[in-house]
Amino acid sequence: MLVDFELIKRAQKGDSAAFNEIVLAYRKRILGTIARLIARHEDVEDVAQEVFLRLYFSLDQLRTPEVFEPWMYRLTVNAAFDYLRKQRRRQEFRMSDLSEQQVMLADAMAGGKAEQNEQYRKKMRESVESLLGAVSEADRILLMLKEVEGLSLKELEKVYKVNENALKVRLFRARQRVLKAFGSAAKREGPDKAG
Amino acid sequence: MMDQMRGQYDHQNDDQKLAALFRAYHSACPVPEPGANFMPNLWAKIESRKTFTFSFRRMANAFVTAAVALSIGLGVYMSIPHANPNSPQSYIEALAEARPLDTTDIVGPAYLDPSDR
Repeated sequence: MLVDFELIKRAQKGDSAAFNEIVLAYRKRILGTIARLIARHEDVEDVAQEVFLRLYFSLDQLRTPEVFEPWMYRLTVNAAFDYLRKQRRRQEFRMSDLSEQQVMLADAMAGGKAEQNEQYRKKMRESVESLLGAVSEADRILLMLKEVEGLSLKELEKVYKVNENALKVRLFRARQRVLKAFGSAAKREGPDKAG
Repeated sequence: MMDQMRGQYDHQNDDQKLAALFRAYHSACPVPEPGANFMPNLWAKIESRKTFTFSFRRMANAFVTAAVALSIGLGVYMSIPHANPNSPQSYIEALAEARPLDTTDIVGPAYLDPSDR
C-alpha cells in the first residue's frame, strides 16, 4: 500500500486534501499501468485522470480501506477497457503486421541478445501489440495484468471478483490464442530463414 | 511420435519466448511522467462533473416536485362533485321542465268517444 488506511478514510469522508495525497501517491503507478495497457502514449494522462475521477465519485462505495488497491486496479482496468473499446485498437494490430524482424526480435529477447536501445524498445512494443491483436480487449487486459504487470491469481480474483478457476481457464485460453498467433508468425518466418 | 515430440518442444519453446517477450514489454514501455497540469486538470474535471451532477439532480427534483403537485391537483379536482348549471338535478325536475303544466295537451279538454265502448 502506498498510502495508509487513515488517509483513505479521510478521503471517503470528503477530505479533498486526503484525496489529493492519494492521487499524488498513485498517479505514477496508474500512469505506468495504463501506458502498458493501452499503448497509446498521448492518451495515457486522460485515461489516468478518468481513473481518478471515477475513484473520487465512487470512494464512498469502498467498504474497507484494505481492498483499496484491488479497487484501484479495477477502476484502471475498466477505464482502459472503455478506452480500448472506443478506439478499437485491435483493428490496427493484425497478425499479418507481425514481421519477420519482430519474430527474430522475440527470439533474441528469449536469448537475451537484444540491445536495449530505443529502436529495439519500439519494435518490442509493436510486437506485443500485434500479438495481443489476437485476443479481445478484455482478454488483452487480463493477460497484461497477469503477464506484464505481474499480478497473482489471488490479486486478479479480487480485481475481477471472479473465482480463481474461472480466471485460470480464461487466462489459459487467451494465452493459447496469443501463442497460436506467435507460432504462426514464427512459421512464416521459418521458411524464409531456411531459404 | 517424433513429430508429436517436436510439436510439444516447439510449443514449450514458444511459451518461453512469449513469457520473455511479455517481461521485456514491461521495461520497454516508458512510464510517462505526469504533466504539470495533471492535478489542476483533474480537479477541473471533478468540479465540472460535480456541477453537471448537481444541475441534473436539481432538474430531476424539480420534475418530481411538479409531477407530485400535478397529481395532487388532479386528484383533488376529480374528487369534487361538479354541479352543472345547465343540467337538471333530478328526473322530476327534468320532466317538469320538458313538459310544463301549461302545455296544451295536458290542460286542454278531454273528448270522450262513445264508440270506444
